[in-house]
Amino acid sequence: MKKLYYDVKKCLGCKSCEIACAVAHSQNKDLFKALKEEMLSLPRKKIHRSGDKNFPNSCRHCQEHPCVDACMAGALVYDQESNMVLHDEARCVGCWMCVMVCPYGSIRPNLKSKIPIRCDKCKDEDEPACVRACPTGAIIWKEADEENLLSSNKTE
Amino acid sequence: MKNFVIIGNSAAGISAAEAIRQKDKKSKITIISEEDYHSYCRCLISYFLAGEIPEEKLVFRPEDFYKENNLNLILNKKVVKVEPKKNIIKFEDKTSLGYDMLLIATGASSKFPPDLKGLKKKGVFGLRTIRDAKEILNLVPSSSSSCILGGGLVSLKAAYGLLKRGQELKIIVKSKFVLSQMLDEKGAGLFMKKFQEAGVEIMTARDIVEILGNGDLKAVRLDSGKVIACSILVVGKGVNPNTDLIKDTQLNLDKGILVDQYMKSSIPNIFAAGDVAQTFDLVYKNSVVNALWPNAIEQGRISGLNMIGENLKYDGSMTMNSIGFFDLPAISMGITRPKNPELEELVLFDEKRNICKKFVLDKNHLVGMIAIGDISNCGVFLRLIKEGTDITSIKNELVSETFSYAKVLDLVKHKDEVFIL
Ligand SMILES: Cc1cc2nc3c(=O)[nH]c(=O)nc-3n(C[C@H](O)[C@H](O)[C@H](O)COP(=O)(O)OP(=O)(O)OC[C@H]3O[C@@H](n4cnc5c(N)ncnc54)[C@H](O)[C@@H]3O)c2cc1C
Repeated sequence: MKKLYYDVKKCLGCKSCEIACAVAHSQNKDLFKALKEEMLSLPRKKIHRSGDKNFPNSCRHCQEHPCVDACMAGALVYDQESNMVLHDEARCVGCWMCVMVCPYGSIRPNLKSKIPIRCDKCKDEDEPACVRACPTGAIIWKEADEENLLSSNKTE
Repeated sequence: MKNFVIIGNSAAGISAAEAIRQKDKKSKITIISEEDYHSYCRCLISYFLAGEIPEEKLVFRPEDFYKENNLNLILNKKVVKVEPKKNIIKFEDKTSLGYDMLLIATGASSKFPPDLKGLKKKGVFGLRTIRDAKEILNLVPSSSSSCILGGGLVSLKAAYGLLKRGQELKIIVKSKFVLSQMLDEKGAGLFMKKFQEAGVEIMTARDIVEILGNGDLKAVRLDSGKVIACSILVVGKGVNPNTDLIKDTQLNLDKGILVDQYMKSSIPNIFAAGDVAQTFDLVYKNSVVNALWPNAIEQGRISGLNMIGENLKYDGSMTMNSIGFFDLPAISMGITRPKNPELEELVLFDEKRNICKKFVLDKNHLVGMIAIGDISNCGVFLRLIKEGTDITSIKNELVSETFSYAKVLDLVKHKDEVFIL
């Protein structure tokens, strides 16, 4: 299973990933056409600033997934095969229980469409649009096995 | 091979069954419900009442769920007694069923004021089951005016639903404002305004003293003496845990069934979870029933796993909820209206933009919060509360629009981090 990692030292906060994400999830997949769509496509990834660093933030498809537990409509499910939290938009009622419990604040409410905005890792593409769009290589798309290495380097 | 019996086919019961099945493919699992329905989410029945979702969408597990998981489902049968000494449960129709391990996940029922006269009249409802919702809907065509008693979440959801069905509506609420368990007066004011603008009359500091009519509900009399004509009354005065079936047993009972940190009752092979279980509250540090969907799911899972012999500890439950009416969302959790003067409040109130944020702090720790209008990041706040994080360094950032998970990265406990620093 591939996951998204972020090299914070390399992130300039240019928001290219945000734009690419919004475009990739628009109807027309084109920036200028996307801006004219009735339901504006919003980025599923957000760059947050803290101190002098930038942190890209989007759904991590957690193995322990409080959003799935809290989803009363049965719209969010954890798919054991793809190791992803999937969202059935047709079932979603926009109750925002998932927003209430996401430990990373990675699920944002789209108050207009009443559907939560969540990263789907561009699951039908070879790699997520944000990865391609990042000009500095700060967004890393790779197998999750090395994850422990990364997190231990973090806690120091 | 064991014989697991689960009384309750809702959040807690189903989540327990799933947890057992994940690890134990062989044992027999029986799920019992007194209702005649597939897994359905009662939180959604007000959306159904409002006509916003069709009946099929109330169901929160796939059609073949019971078959796929090899679960033996018994519907439409009420359990009236648990006999722990014999390890059997007894049904209303006098039949009985044995168990090795029992989970009581019977949830709760609508509470009605015991002294209120006329509750039996046709047109008086609680809103707890799909059946309640359907019976209310049956009366809608012949009714033009409805009343709601109580101003809590379920009351307002009922009001919203009936409003969408074209009813003229009055809400009668004892407190000074609605949603008093979730919000403070100012925050609730934003919602009261929305309801009032939609034509709903909210009568605060009032109560119903009598329900009038011959057989059919015709009107309600308030404590002010005023009589209001209506043919539907929904009573939303909270819920009572369904504990009748363990009366006269040795199971320890307070408001709900008392369980230990493993969700086990005072009898080793009987567990309880969900709206019927009384658990430790993480914020208030006392034993209460926190009757909420996510709590029921988590407690169900932990009971299930412990019933098959794991030793999982349940940290505790918390009050928290998310609501939305007329496009205004709100989330609240923990202590929202502190009585203790030593607790500190940080507040941002922007009436023009319908935004309200309030944080309640106990020294260096977050113990509760309200967010209205802008509800992003609430899960991060929940985490700070649950982990008991020292938030001194970010105190001033809490109400800021630029708050994010990145601000607390150095403060919280990490599981799998995705940042390379
Ligand atoms: C209108 C409404 C809106 C709500 N909104 C929210 C919300 O926004 N957020 C939130 O967190 N929570 C909400 N809730 C609360 C939420 O629905 C409950 O917390 C949750 O359903 C509890 O699940 P449970 O499994 O413990 O019990 P329940 O859902 O009450 O289910 C109990 C089960 O036990 C069965 N049963 C009971 N007694 C017997 C018996 N004697 N014999 C056989 N079977 C029996 C019942 O048939 C049922 O299957 C709402 C509830 C309502 C009614």
